[in-house]
Amino acid sequence: MNLYEKLIALYPSLTDEDFHPTRGTITLQNDSDGKGDYIAKWEHPTLPKPTDEQLGAA
Amino acid sequence: MSQINIAGDTSGSIAVVAPLVAGSNTITLPASTGTVLTSVSPASDLPSSIKGPTFRASKNSTQSISTSTWTKIQFNVEDWDTNSNYDNATNYRFTPTVAGYYQVDMQIEFNNVSGNYLCSIYKNGSAYITSSFYAGSTGGSTPSAHALIYMNGSTDYIEGYGYTTVTSQSVYNGTATYFNAALVRGA
Repeated sequence: MNLYEKLIALYPSLTDEDFHPTRGTITLQNDSDGKGDYIAKWEHPTLPKPTDEQLGAA
Repeated sequence: MSQINIAGDTSGSIAVVAPLVAGSNTITLPASTGTVLTSVSPASDLPSSIKGPTFRASKNSTQSISTSTWTKIQFNVEDWDTNSNYDNATNYRFTPTVAGYYQVDMQIEFNNVSGNYLCSIYKNGSAYITSSFYAGSTGGSTPSAHALIYMNGSTDYIEGYGYTTVTSQSVYNGTATYFNAALVRGA
């Protein structure tokens, strides 16, 4: 399960618009440096940025 | 037509010839050491602000992309890199050592599945220009981005990123996937 799928599992109310590639409030990124996907931007108006523990449990 | 003949050190001579022109004309040489270039001077004699740098990179393998995640494309094959300014092994970034304006082009080919496909040229870690492409079920899926970008010649760098809303997608290697830049004007 990748980061996007974990976030959807954690917050089922998230929509494609939240992840819109140019104007979304959430940006996921992978710099191809072996560290994997990460949250580069979290500006969702109501949902808090999940913790590593929440993502690990998702 | 008038001319000045300068004798060579050992033999021969160089003639500086003035064409037939009306009025008085002046050629002013700079007060510095340098080389006068001619129309047949080799490219190696040209100043760096004119001749370089430029690179072109591609891929020799596919690369998987997570859904809705901007992912740096690993352009790991150098077709050329005239000034050794492109890193094709670790950071996959171009950090030119000559300040100026660079024409930058990027294109990536995804698998042919209906969905949104994007590519973006990042400058210093942030999206600088982004191109979006929607592919139908039988359409192609090769977003491309093009930009004229100022680079300071020391710390500025550019990278190429890809994005798709489709699950289990990959960027293909091949002639439809490339990243290149060339200096078009010095600072």
